[in-house]
Amino acid sequence: MVVGEIAESRDLVIIGGGPGGYNAAIRAAQLGLDVTIIEKGKMGGVCLNEGCIPSKVFAHAAKEYASVPNLSILGINIGEPTFDFHALMKYKDRTVTQLRKGVEALCAANKIEIIEGQATFTAENKIGVENGHQFDVYEFNHAIIATGSATIKPDFLPKQSDRVLFSDVIYNLDEMPQDLIVYGSNYISLEVAFSYHNLGANVTMILDETDDFSFDTSINRELKRILKKQKIKVHRGFKVEEVHASEDDVEVQLAKDGKEETLKGTHIYVATQHKADIAELGLERFGLKMTEDGLVETDAQMRTSLDKLFAVGDITEGTPSAVKAIKEGKVAAETIAGLNSEVDLTFLPSIVHSIPKIASVGLTEEEAAEAGYKVKTSQFANSGNSYAMITNEKSGITKIIKDEETDLLLGFHAIGAGAVELISTAVTALEMVGRDEDLNFPLYPHPSFNETILEAVEGLEEKAIHMPPPKKTAKV
Amino acid sequence: MEVKFHDIGEGMNEGEILTFFVKVGDEVTVDQPLVEMQTDKMVAEIPSPTAGTVKAIHFNTGEVVTVGTPIMEIDNGEENSPPEKAEEPKKQEKQSAPQPVEEKTSTKKKHNRVLAAPYTRKIARDKGVDIEEIQGTGPAGRVTEEDVYQFVNGSAGKAGVQEAAAASVPAANQKEQASDTIPFKGIRKQIAKNMSYSLQTIPHVTHFEEADLTNLLELRKELKESGDNISVVAFFLKALAISLKEHPIFNARLDEENEVIHLLKQYNFGLATDTEAGLLVPVLPNVDQKSLREIHTEMKDLTKKAQEGKLSAQEMANGTFTISNVGPLGGMGATPIINHPQTSILAFHKTKKVPVVMDDDEIAIRSMMNMSLSFDHRVADGAASVRFTNRFVELLEEPKKLLLELV
Repeated sequence: MVVGEIAESRDLVIIGGGPGGYNAAIRAAQLGLDVTIIEKGKMGGVCLNEGCIPSKVFAHAAKEYASVPNLSILGINIGEPTFDFHALMKYKDRTVTQLRKGVEALCAANKIEIIEGQATFTAENKIGVENGHQFDVYEFNHAIIATGSATIKPDFLPKQSDRVLFSDVIYNLDEMPQDLIVYGSNYISLEVAFSYHNLGANVTMILDETDDFSFDTSINRELKRILKKQKIKVHRGFKVEEVHASEDDVEVQLAKDGKEETLKGTHIYVATQHKADIAELGLERFGLKMTEDGLVETDAQMRTSLDKLFAVGDITEGTPSAVKAIKEGKVAAETIAGLNSEVDLTFLPSIVHSIPKIASVGLTEEEAAEAGYKVKTSQFANSGNSYAMITNEKSGITKIIKDEETDLLLGFHAIGAGAVELISTAVTALEMVGRDEDLNFPLYPHPSFNETILEAVEGLEEKAIHMPPPKKTAKV
Repeated sequence: MEVKFHDIGEGMNEGEILTFFVKVGDEVTVDQPLVEMQTDKMVAEIPSPTAGTVKAIHFNTGEVVTVGTPIMEIDNGEENSPPEKAEEPKKQEKQSAPQPVEEKTSTKKKHNRVLAAPYTRKIARDKGVDIEEIQGTGPAGRVTEEDVYQFVNGSAGKAGVQEAAAASVPAANQKEQASDTIPFKGIRKQIAKNMSYSLQTIPHVTHFEEADLTNLLELRKELKESGDNISVVAFFLKALAISLKEHPIFNARLDEENEVIHLLKQYNFGLATDTEAGLLVPVLPNVDQKSLREIHTEMKDLTKKAQEGKLSAQEMANGTFTISNVGPLGGMGATPIINHPQTSILAFHKTKKVPVVMDDDEIAIRSMMNMSLSFDHRVADGAASVRFTNRFVELLEEPKKLLLELV
């Protein structure tokens, strides 16, 4: 470390080059600020390098692989398909590298400086960057902390073992796991389960001490039906007592109401919790306000309790999500540049790239009832959609929830082939304070998955065409 | 026994509780005032229907109560008679119902959804107002752009302070920018509501006219000297009743729903009165059937009651036409707003001595008064209004002609 510092000055320093950080950087540069990003690892952060992007590569490959047997009914015969795990790994690495280069090129085009190293605040307006023997100090007008989150590994697990996998390595394995036990119920766990299962692994799920998934009950029901149909066994309501990992396999001891069970597999994936990756920044000296869960407190413009500091992404309150980080990054940049922006995560869509996909926004039926609305729901089975028939993707449902008193739309939940792309219609409708007629009136392309939304909306008034009329209960 | 808020005047269906004169446990006698209510343009006291002890009070001051709702319960020692019993379950329903509603609002807040489109939210941000403070008037409670602009205009003082803060103006300056506030409720709010409603529904036209009051003032002076003090306005009212009988379209009521215009046979004149509490309009009924002396006396009586805040609801109901005599205060013209659902309103302005060219081309000093007649153009047309005021002016300028109209 060099003493007698000469601080260079910067308009805006961003610590972390993940989705929150680089979106903030580019937006700030667009608005005329001089921007410096400090990144200790790779540009793109967890999302690009080990999270969203790799998992979507796997989910996509798994979906394609699973669809091969269906090709013969279309007259396409390609014989017995085989799967090369290493080839997929290569493709994943290539995709990630390409995307990362894209981000770096965009930053360069926007004249954003990228400095490699570990950042530490030396004053409320100064930051030091350590890289090997190098230690440079930057004085800034504003800084955005976008360091993301680190995983907290559960303490019941034994020693480090190559057979116990976490989200940082699950898509970075040397070999295809043969018998994979997935312990968790969140979206990452579901994607791991569906992807590896459809790529040929035997997958067993253990829901982490919960009895069910966290979606709307109708989605949960259809999801469980699909899991069962795909022969992915789900253990619900069990507590994991112990995990033994040996050279060749793992053994998991489960308990439920005094009943014990042992599961064996070659690998176990364990869902992890996240905590703010902030310790090394040394901010506690300046009295940065944190929440009880160790996350950074911000307002709707992403200002922290310290004047010059903003924080975005997984280190702030809320569900860890790239969608959230991207929005927050832009808002922080705009606020610093003097624009009037705000973040509101009420209608943050949540997406799972399971097979088929799940997409959800707004209130579930239970939440809507709890919130005191007079709830009316409608559920359309994708099997009634003609395009689903063509593509042979008939499983799944689309569900719409409204307030019967005001017709206000409250929530949209879908599992099925089109779910992820369709969710934007629902997000827009909810943000626009839409009511049922606002989705009923527009024209929908035919045939297409879009029509699943229309039919679900029509179902609210029992006027969906491809839904059987409500059954009259027979008198005994 | 339940004390209900009864319909105490025409078309009133709700009232705000201003004061309770009693509390739970108090002994009350028959007709003792229990509660003071603010309704459409009036304050009314609700008397006790029975003697007994106040058992329960269902509302707090400031709450708005609809007609027919029990406000409080008085135990008069009598066993509950069957009809009372029949009401019991109903009452329980009412008591238990509000609780889930309360829960509903509290949890709805938890969901914390902003009922405004992103574009509208941006307008609010740019105007420096918190959109969550704005009450939406749009469909399903949606906050519209209009709502934001209205809120901004309404809280201009507040916004001024915020902007000052944003510009980090020293605190002392901020204080200077702050404004005094006047509570916008009670009569003031009622006036606002009625005026906006009238102006929004009725296409107003105002027609100006002048009258030479020299002869009328002379006549009045003569009468006064002989011991009969009749105010000029009493003559106005009498002349109006006569003119309106001949031009009934200005004493009418439009019933849009049934697609008819009712030409009213009563001549009940509202007298716009400036009081400390605000504008009040007591009604002088059946002016056509009353003598000038009666009109004068009753008018004086009503104006006094208005100023003392003692008007009953009945005394403000059933007006068919309204006059506003602002002349004593001054002014030369106005565009008065019609007292909905009436068809017209007539304002009298200051009477001034002015040089006037007479019929013989001589210039004389005459006492001239301007008047402004606003009328509902859906119901009447301009030419009709001129004919109507011509007749009215004729009667004022030649008060002897009033004699011809004696029944």
